[in-house]
Amino acid sequence: MSHKYYEFFCPVKVIAGKAALEHIPYELTGLAAKRPMIVTDKGVRAAGLLDPVIAACEESGLEIVSIYDDVPPDSSTSVVRDIAGIYRQEKCDAIIAVGGGSAIDTGKAVNILVSEGGDDIARYSGAGILKHPLKPFFVVPTTAGTGSEVTAVAVITDEKKGVKLPFTSSFLLPNAAIIDPRMTLTLPPHITAATAMDAMTHATEAFTCMAKNPLSDAYATAAIKKISQSLLNVMDNPKDTEGRLELAQASTMAGIAFSNSMVGLVHSLGHATGAICHLPHGLCMSLYLPYVLEYNLESIREPLGELLLYLEGPEVYSATPASRRAEATISAIRKLRDQLYKRCQLPRTLKETGKVLENQLDHIAEMALDDGSIMFNPKEVTLEDARAVLRRAWA
Amino acid sequence: MLLKRIQPMVFQARRLYVDIMFQVMGRALQAVSEVDETVQNEARALPQGLLFEMMVMPEGPRLIVEHIGDGYFHYHGDSAPRPVDLSIQFKHIAHAFLVLSFQEKTSEAFANDRMLVDGDVSYAVRMTRVLNRLETFILPKLIAERAVKEYPASLHLPEKLISAARIYLKVATNFVETARP
Ligand SMILES: [Fe+2]
Repeated sequence: MSHKYYEFFCPVKVIAGKAALEHIPYELTGLAAKRPMIVTDKGVRAAGLLDPVIAACEESGLEIVSIYDDVPPDSSTSVVRDIAGIYRQEKCDAIIAVGGGSAIDTGKAVNILVSEGGDDIARYSGAGILKHPLKPFFVVPTTAGTGSEVTAVAVITDEKKGVKLPFTSSFLLPNAAIIDPRMTLTLPPHITAATAMDAMTHATEAFTCMAKNPLSDAYATAAIKKISQSLLNVMDNPKDTEGRLELAQASTMAGIAFSNSMVGLVHSLGHATGAICHLPHGLCMSLYLPYVLEYNLESIREPLGELLLYLEGPEVYSATPASRRAEATISAIRKLRDQLYKRCQLPRTLKETGKVLENQLDHIAEMALDDGSIMFNPKEVTLEDARAVLRRAWA
Repeated sequence: MLLKRIQPMVFQARRLYVDIMFQVMGRALQAVSEVDETVQNEARALPQGLLFEMMVMPEGPRLIVEHIGDGYFHYHGDSAPRPVDLSIQFKHIAHAFLVLSFQEKTSEAFANDRMLVDGDVSYAVRMTRVLNRLETFILPKLIAERAVKEYPASLHLPEKLISAARIYLKVATNFVETARP
């Protein structure tokens, strides 16, 4: 592997743990920001998750100048334009995105407009368009899964053209990600499970796909260890603050791993299934993960076998012969899925979702072949291969 | 002293090689699209008139092909009749050389941040598969295995390509041999 080369980049300040939210005023002041705007969605507000953020700022004499709480699940160019308008009108000077993937992506896109100017976010779509740092931008994730707080990507729907616009630039990365266990404490069981399995998939694919590298490997394995040690505890005891924090950190670590080494076929199939059958992303990840690992098995036997240590611990790892570890890793993931099914009926097959028709599989396969992440899958996937994986995942 | 005199020659040779390989690939893309069903099926999903470019930053060698419809490619040489729709850009000529001398797979070069995509990623994914397929045609199996993720088990060389392929692979093997440290 003398030709191996890699890049690794993550300039996001991670502020994590007990009373992390209370660090926001200090961090904003450090960037000379005095008039922050919060970008969030109705669900977050209804769950009361804004209260501790606002209280933390007000107690330090920092006023939240404006709150936009109407980000839809699939954010659009007009939403971004509207929020940018409010930001300018209220003379804000920083953005705090509070929420899951959509609120965070919206915050990134709004930051482009308010920093670069104009009303047409589509102009900045693509890679490497931005050449300057943007306004101060903080992210407070309220799910433990997407890892968007440490990725340099945003996706916004152009509703007029009916296409999804991608934005990629390292300037989209927030200045800080604030990981506070209070923000994920009230996540319902099935979302906790699905988002944790999204993080698990990020870490597993980062560790087994083509762009793996020593730095992202370290983040990936640490994330897998945290998830396998904490997920079932949290499922059984949702108010387990320690466990919640472990999952939230694991999600950020898995995000750092995959944003530097990419994901593979699980995500290609998941993106296609999400678009066609409207299934949540984390659910698709959990569903496809073992089937894709089986498909990739002979190309990833060695790294996959290493993951057994982080999934099952040193005793199981050392008791398993090296030649059987890759299979044992897949079994461990299946076992975890069975446990999650028992606790919250997180589907393990397409049939169990009740939302996929068998005659949709071909369409899913075709769409998956056009997904960017398929490029980094360790095995070259043909249409027939994709169909075969889907048939195995059917029931 | 010696290094100073040899370096420019190495640079020049590398540039020349990349230039030649782009021409070889451009012609081969067109030829393969005329005979190979797999390539046609991949290409058919691209819009008609799509201009695809592969180039070396900042102003280095480039190849431009157009999808003229129904899975057929037309090679335009190194100049485009209008702005290109999809561009795969190597960050440096050294990286283009690694890929074009089949020391690094196209997909690996993406994974290793050697090149960038400007344009629709789903088209780039298709073109990468077309390039992989192409590499299996114009190279002997041994080298192709290194250049693509997987060598297709059921690859029948179309008669029309075999003679042309020999010429290409002669160029390629020579270069690989001399290029390896
Ligand atoms: Fe994901």
